[in-house]
Amino acid sequence: MPRNPTAAASESAVARAETRRRWSLALPALTVITLCSILPLGVMVAYSFMEAGQYGNVQWGFSLEGWRAVFLDRDFFDDSYIPATAHLTILARSILLALATTALTFVFGIPTAWFIATRPPATRAYWMFLITVPFWTNLLVRTIAIQEVIRADGTLNRLLLATGLIDEPLQMMFTNGAVLVGMTYVYLPLMVLPVYAAIEKFDFRLAEAAYDLHASRLYCLRRVVLPLMWPGIVAGSILVFIPALGAYVTPRLMGGGRAMMWGNLIDLQFGQGRNWPLGAALSITLTLVVVGAMVWYARRAAKGDATNG
Amino acid sequence: MLDIRSLSKKFGSGDSAFQALKSIDITIEEGEFFTLLGPSGCGKTTLLRLIAGFEQPSGGQLVLDGKDIATIPPNHRPVNTVFQSYALFPHMTVAQNVAFGLEARGTNPAEIAPRVDEILEIVQMAHLRDRKSSQMSGGQQQRVALARALAPRPRILLLDEPLSALDLKLRKQMQFELKRLQRELGLTFIFVTHDQDEALTMSDRIAVMDGGTLQQVADPRTLYDHPANRFVAEFIGEANFLSGTVAGGKLSLSGQAPVPLPHGADASGPVTVMIRPEQVVVGSAGGNAVTLDGQIEALVFSGTDTHVTLRLENGDTLSLRAPNNSHATTTFAEGEPLRVALPVDALRLLPEDIANAA
Ligand SMILES: Nc1ncnc2c1ncn2[C@@H]1O[C@H](COP(=O)(O)OP(=O)(O)OP(=O)(O)O)[C@@H](O)[C@H]1O
Ligand SMILES: [Mg+2]
Repeated sequence: MPRNPTAAASESAVARAETRRRWSLALPALTVITLCSILPLGVMVAYSFMEAGQYGNVQWGFSLEGWRAVFLDRDFFDDSYIPATAHLTILARSILLALATTALTFVFGIPTAWFIATRPPATRAYWMFLITVPFWTNLLVRTIAIQEVIRADGTLNRLLLATGLIDEPLQMMFTNGAVLVGMTYVYLPLMVLPVYAAIEKFDFRLAEAAYDLHASRLYCLRRVVLPLMWPGIVAGSILVFIPALGAYVTPRLMGGGRAMMWGNLIDLQFGQGRNWPLGAALSITLTLVVVGAMVWYARRAAKGDATNG
Repeated sequence: MLDIRSLSKKFGSGDSAFQALKSIDITIEEGEFFTLLGPSGCGKTTLLRLIAGFEQPSGGQLVLDGKDIATIPPNHRPVNTVFQSYALFPHMTVAQNVAFGLEARGTNPAEIAPRVDEILEIVQMAHLRDRKSSQMSGGQQQRVALARALAPRPRILLLDEPLSALDLKLRKQMQFELKRLQRELGLTFIFVTHDQDEALTMSDRIAVMDGGTLQQVADPRTLYDHPANRFVAEFIGEANFLSGTVAGGKLSLSGQAPVPLPHGADASGPVTVMIRPEQVVVGSAGGNAVTLDGQIEALVFSGTDTHVTLRLENGDTLSLRAPNNSHATTTFAEGEPLRVALPVDALRLLPEDIANAA
């Protein structure tokens, strides 16, 4: 079909103007993403391939030492390479503790969210306020507060001693359990908020319809309530799991040096360890683990959707 | 057969208590299309929810086939509901929605698929069986909600204003289809509406409710022709009310010569007299009739007939219908005088309104 050249030209001019307009609209978001996400990540990747400086920092020059140290230790006696089992242990503990934190925030968060969402609308804001108050408090202060509760001479032990349930104070600090308690407390709101939103959005007339259609309460929960709340539960779990995996303030205060997590390991390299390339490589490793888990989950969810739908 | 005996429902307690239903007595027959009709807030939904089991009665009994079902929870009652909001499960397909009631009840899986197919065929939704319920028009959702409630073969189907969200045309069509379906299945329907046309065209019998009490239970024709009181007369169709006096077995209306009482009527003293606009005769009528003079106040053309509003000599207004057929002889003009006749046998005496009028 013969085309009018001028019309075609003006058409493409319009298309170009449209493209320009879209880019300019996306510019603020792109700037923020570049500055706050891609750039720092790039710096970390670059650092992980450099040489460690004497007093911390990095020296120019390509080196795989940082990455080597993530996976392999140098044997103390003969300088041969052996797997860095300490790192593996810490990674395993981090993942387990993050999973356990997610599970505990789930166990405590769902009933809490349910309770709030089923209050009269006027009082819901009040309950939400109570849930979010700790969130406005400094993380350090919150962690020290929970420390105060489970310390050897803390509130809980004094209470148990006073009631005669125990004769000697329980040693709860500086254990994996202490880290778990602290993290559950700190991350609970992150589970409650999205789950609350999902429950609040849930149309209770659907539960009534299920009940009318011969469903028992349990059947209704399984077939109607849970599937519709699922996105909220997933969002809450992701919101808790990811920061819990990289947490370091709470594990440090509650776990001391004994129950170290990946975040503390990274912290160590940038502090006393003065091994920035290793710290950077450890950070990237954590990022990759998280991204890997997310991709796996997204794939699975997509597949589940395809088979269900 | 469902027997509703002195059923009452009170919400709340103490000062904030609200009596939503006051001693309702109705017997609903097998295979009947029974309609609950009344203005907003009169307790229709409450009565339906009591039958479904979502609310507990404060008093009275609900007897289904000789058994009191008041204490049976909703999931064990042989009754299903079509909700006003449809309440379809948004994460399920049409077929999954329809299968839900059967699955929940533990029906043999081999029987579920054919039943779902059959019922989707009946409501003409088979072609959309794999569609998500959130991706359908209002009319389609309506059909799925109906199919879902029918699938478990309820003894009674409850429908709470199922058509109120549809536009007029679709609504008319669904009215027709619902009625056809009910006849074919021979199923008992309890249908809630506040639309009197809908009630009149679809129902075998109608219960007119107001303020938590039953005003009248009757078939559409009786409700229209012999309303039990002024509320029913006004709620169903259009009505003219005139005040009159009965003395010595004769009725006198607005100072006119006394006429004999309409057939079967019995009253004395001041009465409210009701006549439907289409019963008013232009000019004079043969036989027993009350003749009234007035002035035409307004004329509204409505196609088949003209709505005439007449201002009577005593100041009351009277509306009537003048048919627009080609052999109509009278022409009307606003402001002109007009003589009309009210045939005695079209007059209805509403004696129980004496108290209200006083
Ligand atoms: N759970 C409840 N608590 C207190 N009052 C209620 C409750 N449910 C209904 N009511 C009251 O009972 C009365 C009857 O309500 P119902 O819903 O049965 O009316 P309806 O006839 O269905 O009206 P509509 O045509 O508007 O649906 C209303 O005044 C309503 O405010
Ligand atoms: Mg209602």
